[in-house]
Amino acid sequence: MASLLDHSAGGQTVGYSFSQSAAAPVKQHGFYPYTDNGGSTLGITGSDFAILAGDTRSTSGYNINSRMVPKVFKIGGDEETGEGAHIILSVVGFAADGNALKERLDSVVKMYKYQHGKSMSVSACAQRLSTILYGKRFFPYYVTAILAGLDEEGKGALYSYDPVGSYEREQCRAAGAAASLIMPFLDNQVNFKNQYIPGSGEGHALQAKKAEPLPRDHVQELVRDAFTSAVERHIEVGDHLQMLIATRDGIEEVFHPLKKD
Amino acid sequence: MDKLVAQYSRPAHQNEFYSEQEQQDLNESLPPLSLKFSMPPIDNSASFLRAMTDDHSNPSCPIKIAHGTTTLAFRFQGGIIVCTDSRATAGNWIASQTVKKVIPVSRLSRGEDKPSNDPTPGLLGTMAGGAADCQYWLRYLSQQCTLHEIRHKRRITVAAASKILANLTYAYKGYGLSMGTMLAGVTPQEGPALYYIDSDGTRLPGNLFCVGSGQTFAYGVLDANYKYEMSEQDALALGRRAILAAMHRDAYSGGFINLYHVKEEGWVHHGFDDMNPIFWKTKLDNGEFSNVTSEL
Amino acid sequence: MNHFPEAWGRPRDDVYGAYDHSYLQTTGPKAHTSSPAVTGTSVLGVKFNGGVVLATDNLASYGSLARFTDVKRLRVFGSNAIVGFGGDVSDMQYIDRLLESIDIRENYSHHGNMLNAKNLHTYLSKVFYKRRSEFNPLWNHILVAGYDGEGEPFLSSADLLGTTFSAPHLATGFGAHLAVPILRRLFPEEMPLEEVSKEAAIEALKQCLKVLYYRDARSMDKYSIAVITKEGIDIKENEVIEGTELGFC
Repeated sequence: MASLLDHSAGGQTVGYSFSQSAAAPVKQHGFYPYTDNGGSTLGITGSDFAILAGDTRSTSGYNINSRMVPKVFKIGGDEETGEGAHIILSVVGFAADGNALKERLDSVVKMYKYQHGKSMSVSACAQRLSTILYGKRFFPYYVTAILAGLDEEGKGALYSYDPVGSYEREQCRAAGAAASLIMPFLDNQVNFKNQYIPGSGEGHALQAKKAEPLPRDHVQELVRDAFTSAVERHIEVGDHLQMLIATRDGIEEVFHPLKKD
Repeated sequence: MDKLVAQYSRPAHQNEFYSEQEQQDLNESLPPLSLKFSMPPIDNSASFLRAMTDDHSNPSCPIKIAHGTTTLAFRFQGGIIVCTDSRATAGNWIASQTVKKVIPVSRLSRGEDKPSNDPTPGLLGTMAGGAADCQYWLRYLSQQCTLHEIRHKRRITVAAASKILANLTYAYKGYGLSMGTMLAGVTPQEGPALYYIDSDGTRLPGNLFCVGSGQTFAYGVLDANYKYEMSEQDALALGRRAILAAMHRDAYSGGFINLYHVKEEGWVHHGFDDMNPIFWKTKLDNGEFSNVTSEL
Repeated sequence: MNHFPEAWGRPRDDVYGAYDHSYLQTTGPKAHTSSPAVTGTSVLGVKFNGGVVLATDNLASYGSLARFTDVKRLRVFGSNAIVGFGGDVSDMQYIDRLLESIDIRENYSHHGNMLNAKNLHTYLSKVFYKRRSEFNPLWNHILVAGYDGEGEPFLSSADLLGTTFSAPHLATGFGAHLAVPILRRLFPEEMPLEEVSKEAAIEALKQCLKVLYYRDARSMDKYSIAVITKEGIDIKENEVIEGTELGFC
């Protein structure tokens, strides 16, 4: 409707073949501010823990920049060791934006502790991260973030984000280059999508298997399987698997080797 | 002399670090949900943003933003029915099947969103278009509504709340926001009220709206069966059925059916149910969707 | 709203104008020559047992013209850090001025010069990131070499977008394609740093410079090489690649 009524755009130049200058917008900047550093991340929660994992490969195009650039960070802990942190964040996409985002959230969590005398809850931190991302709605951070920790009841909490800050609490989430390879696997193995209880009915009466929290060692196995499989089929994933596990006792860090080809 | 030197000399480099103000903004632990956005420092920032994020015009654009899809709301004699699907897509990728597209807009109802039979006072907003846009601006709106409540000692009307939102979207027109939202609520001043607000700045009161890529399918079902006088049971079933039709025919809609009923005392949640069993039940029990074979 | 529901909620042409692909088509070699004028090519770096070695050639190109043949692209900062610059030479000189003023400020401060290579790298990467966020980038890709806070050898990279990464051996520009595979073969990642001798590291870089000289059209045979050890920085800025055999080209 609007386009039918709108004569202003095309109407002015009618009749003058020489007055077509204003058509194409003048482009002043031959500078593209983003790049994709590849890699993939994944998070799964259980009844008393949350795991965030990511590979450590950094790529630009077909080059491997480095085989050891972690994507998963402790938030609100000591600068060097990460000690005292209780929240974990993974960022994948443009690494420089990811780093800037991590440092911003980290300083926010520290300022919160300094001003309020208590640690920021994961749900509060999740909301804050959303606002930070949305603050750059018109010049977005080129990252997919996942935030994890333990909620007020001690249960594993995981929040996943889009680049401009829409977020949702979930049981599991994969992000980054191999998200499309890993996420369907998680749907099936964590949320038991398309799994049915054998013998529970005939045809359409067959009962779906209910998802329930998985034990920690099983989840760790799933994470390793997800990544070893992703490495087989995605060129931007590989080298090492970094896993941060938030439990009541703090945050544990585990590394596993992945294929380096 | 110093003046003369200063005039003809310039610093070897500019200040390469963040100003005091910038640093403070970065570290503030409790910033208000604000209207302060960092813009790309170029001539046409909206085109830049669009080039980066519009996956419809360019499926291979670098930054894929999550989009929500089919939502509907309609007034009837017993209040307002609000119903949505739960799928979020980023390009062709299904980013999530469990999005909560009905967002409570009120201080009191912000907490746990558990299905319960006790009505929760407050308004409901729906999410279609950019997921982040809707989440952020409905949160901003709920902040404004709370302030209104504190200042005026009574709950905000749906008309006023929708006006706040529409004024905002109109102020940001041309910036690249993408949202189509409905506000539903029942207040003593207006009774059941339903408004549609979108990112172009449109604000419309009405009886019945469907918004999103599956809107046409939902309208088809709704228009055929809608009667203002229908019972609460029928209204809930109609809402569910209209969303089901959209989920079935629109690739960008799917997942779970999220159903709400807004009454005078507040809103009631009527479930977040997987569409698949509902689809088969509708087909096998009522003989609808007969174009789909039921053989396994 | 139009009658294409899938387009609903997306930016409309009648409001925002046509979708402009040109914002995206700036990657690739075209973008890199459109803004920088005089450029330097690869920077190479290797960590060894107890230190780091960094090397660049001495050429500054103007497009395809080998314009200046005596430009030193390794800059010493303080007493134990070196920055190797690739990319735009004027931006390199700007950063050099910036670093000089920081060095002066540090040296006149009551605590003396405390910035190690790691701090320097953090600072420079933030400068790069801030500039890219202003759409006014410093068109460089740099390597920073020296020691970190624990006194361990440090080698890390930063580029015009603010991207950072570190590895036992790094190379920017053409070197990322030609030198890194050689270095990865000579010093596999699982090889502990203690087994890499200073001599082996220097020899490896010379070999890489030679390979680059053979195949990188923006390189030359005069180069600078800097070795950082606990004893200090040994920098040679007028070396010549020896034993070149151009007959096979």
